[in-house]
Amino acid sequence: MENALARFEELDAGRVLGDLSPKETSEWLILAERHQGSNSIELDLLATELELQETQPCDLSSSLSNKLADTIPAFSNKNKQQPATQIISILPWLGWAVAACLVISLNIPDTDTSPPAIQLTSTQKLEALIKKEPSSQRLAFSSASDPYQNISGEVIWNDGLQEGYMSLTNLPVNDPTQNQYQLWIVDPERDELPVDGGVFDIPVGSKTAVIPIRNALHVSKPAAFVITLEQPGGVVNSKQEVVVALAKS
Amino acid sequence: MPLRNFILFSNIRSFEFALGIVPPSESQGSSNSLLLPLVAKGDETAMRKCIDSYGSLVWSIVCRRIRDRMDAEEACQEIFTEVWRIAARFDPKVSKESTFIGMIARRRSIDWQRKQNRLPPLATLDSLPELSTTSSSSLHSIDRSELWNALQSLPENTLKLFSLHFEKGLTHDEIAQQAKLPIGTVKTKLRRGLIEARKLLNELNLNKELAR
Repeated sequence: MENALARFEELDAGRVLGDLSPKETSEWLILAERHQGSNSIELDLLATELELQETQPCDLSSSLSNKLADTIPAFSNKNKQQPATQIISILPWLGWAVAACLVISLNIPDTDTSPPAIQLTSTQKLEALIKKEPSSQRLAFSSASDPYQNISGEVIWNDGLQEGYMSLTNLPVNDPTQNQYQLWIVDPERDELPVDGGVFDIPVGSKTAVIPIRNALHVSKPAAFVITLEQPGGVVNSKQEVVVALAKS
Repeated sequence: MPLRNFILFSNIRSFEFALGIVPPSESQGSSNSLLLPLVAKGDETAMRKCIDSYGSLVWSIVCRRIRDRMDAEEACQEIFTEVWRIAARFDPKVSKESTFIGMIARRRSIDWQRKQNRLPPLATLDSLPELSTTSSSSLHSIDRSELWNALQSLPENTLKLFSLHFEKGLTHDEIAQQAKLPIGTVKTKLRRGLIEARKLLNELNLNKELAR
């Protein structure tokens, strides 16, 4: 037990230093679940203090400063004009995926009613979000063909809070040293490319997983959420070679 | 110049702090000067001030790891989006605002670097628990020069690696080349050094408590 804790501490230090190998990352995830009481951001804060000692601030350009201000949801919502009625289509982006890989069923299946697995932090936050903002957007996932035909679940998204979660059942376990799942958010009000919603893994033993959405940029009224399978670490732009699941409004 | 003195006086800010010249944004004495509690309530003006106050700090942390300017700008946007989202997690009893925001910037830019190197990203703050305000590793009352002073009891070779990593911003590969050490040794020494540094921080906090 002590050895496992000591190993977790060393891996956690590696996490803070950013030097975990893919195998060590998987090991950290497993040990982090077991030693939740030992999880903390102490080392993160400490490492940051050590780095800030020698960090000389570099002035921001005014263009970057303005761009940063535009990322603030309240600012961007205020400055946006009300869009005219428009037909929103995600088919152009998905068209390549449909042609290139498996056929995606567009019949939305009944939402799986299996109880969520116990993943304390994300599950509690999901429940809190639903309770706090019951009008949050909820879309059911539809799956592709083999080996993803048994996937079910939903995505819950709140524009105002820029917070959301995916609840996914029967998503196959992945080996993060080989590939990882990546979420993409199709926001018609942005440019043509979807927004990266974060990379995630399904560890061994998970039937239902609750995954927080980590959108890299602000999204507004997303039209669709798409999960693809990518190389470890994800990609900047997906080639959509393997589309795992889709949830669309 | 001995490493100790170099660390103490190489940063004019630590010198200013030692003389009692504390920049307003770092003041923890007045909660009115804190921006993140206001950002957590959705205060747009506070968020704008947050960008003005800490934008340069974030930019410098990002530029240490991300060379491409467009990528660095996008990373900055991601960082401030995350600041907006998780401002409520900031606790002034645990750390300074600059440290909290710096931590987000550091983690995001490390993840970006890992993505470029085709490595899996590491857990985000969403999945990490809160830091207790009674934690013996709390940093709110420790200034940076005090911290580095406390670390002087680390082994000389660990201090040297710390200097190369945290002060000069070298990667593990660069450190291994410069120090003529195997990369595995660099990783192990830095990790164990960080764990040991936390213990020294705990002792420093304990000594401060006892001195009150």
